[in-house]
Formats: sequence, structure tokens, C-alpha cells
Amino acid sequence: MMALPFVVLVIAALVPMLGFRKTSVIVWAVAMAATLWILWSHATTPLKIVL
Amino acid sequence: MAAIAKALNILAVLGISGALLFAFYWQLVRGELPCPLCLVQRLGLIGAGLGFALNVRFGSSESHYGVVIISALVGGAAATRQILLHIVPDTGSYGSALYGWHFYTWALVVFVAIAALAGLLLFIEAQFVEGTHDLRPSMAAQAVGWLFVVVVLANAVSTLLECGFGACPDNPTEYELLRK
Repeated sequence: MMALPFVVLVIAALVPMLGFRKTSVIVWAVAMAATLWILWSHATTPLKIVL
Repeated sequence: MAAIAKALNILAVLGISGALLFAFYWQLVRGELPCPLCLVQRLGLIGAGLGFALNVRFGSSESHYGVVIISALVGGAAATRQILLHIVPDTGSYGSALYGWHFYTWALVVFVAIAALAGLLLFIEAQFVEGTHDLRPSMAAQAVGWLFVVVVLANAVSTLLECGFGACPDNPTEYELLRK
């Protein structure tokens, strides 16, 4: 799951080299949504720090 | 002024690629595998680099700077989260320090700098006059673009090897897909 946004960002970085600008921005948005979901999952997991 | 904006965009892509390559050096040579939050910070860096790369490839656009700023916010949020995890004394830290600061602290500084750079570049209105276009890009734009693609691809392969197809452990010590 962690690798998914990286793979999506590879596509987002590759398509501009082939001339597709808007596709890249849309694919980037998908990758950022996945990234935010991962960050949210991490942030809502209870901490295991012993204070 | 438009030429200055273009030059700064090229420098930004090169700088972000350099930062990602330096993280790779630390990962491969020093043997410190990136944690899940570190990987989210790399995603933020890649997203910001993509926005600058789009400016280099197609000409400047406000939406490309939007890509930069939102990516920097996401990466900055991950860096802040990691700093706060270790801000209480005696709660440890993750990874080694560079010039006294851990990589997640440096990452927050870099994300703030990236967002500030994008904000400042937005003031150069001359760069938006031509609009975006798909003309044959210059050799420099091609080289910078392909370098960025290679760096992003290397990160994807590395993360796939480290985490496999699931979630990454909080303190990774080995590559999941290379484990015997």
C-alpha cells in the first residue's frame, strides 16, 4: 500500500515527458489523495510511546 | 523576469532531485531504511518537484505552482507529525542527525522553503503571459525532466522492495521483498 502513491507518481512524472500536461496533474492529485490517506491512517493510530 | 523564473524552476527540480538522491545515499550507503513518515515526506518532495518540472516542460502556470504548494503542505504535515512524535525528552528519535538536526527536521525546513519559493515565483507575472504550450522542449528541459523521472522511478522501486505490497513497519530493518 505504501508503494502505491510512488508508482502513481512515476506515471505523473512520466506523462509530461510524452506531452500530457493535464493528465499529469490529475494523476498527481490521485497520488496526493493516497498520500493523505496514509498520513491520516498514521496520525490516527494510537501512539506506543511510554512517557 | 520570465527567464529568471524558468531558471529558478530548473534549479528547484535539480535541488529536489539532489535531496532525494542524498536520501538514497543515506539509505544505501549508511543502511538507514526510511520509515513510513519518511516515505510520506519523500512523496511530498516528489510532488513538489513535479510541479516545478511541469513549469520547465510546458511553461509556467498557476496550477503547477498549486501542485508545488499542496505537495509541500502534505510533506510538511508529515515532517511536523514526526517532529512532534519525538519532541518530548527521552522519547528517542528516528535515524541519525545531520549537522545536529534529524532528517525530518531538515525536511520541514525544506518544505517551508519550497512553499516560500513557489509563493515568491508567483509574483513574477511575466512568466504567465505566454501560457502553457507543448512546443518541443529545450535540451535542458528534457534532461531535467528525465533525471526527475529516473529519481522518482528509483524511489518507487526502493519503496516496493522495502515495504512490499502492504504497509511498512514503523521501524524497518530489512527489505520486505528481499527477505529470504
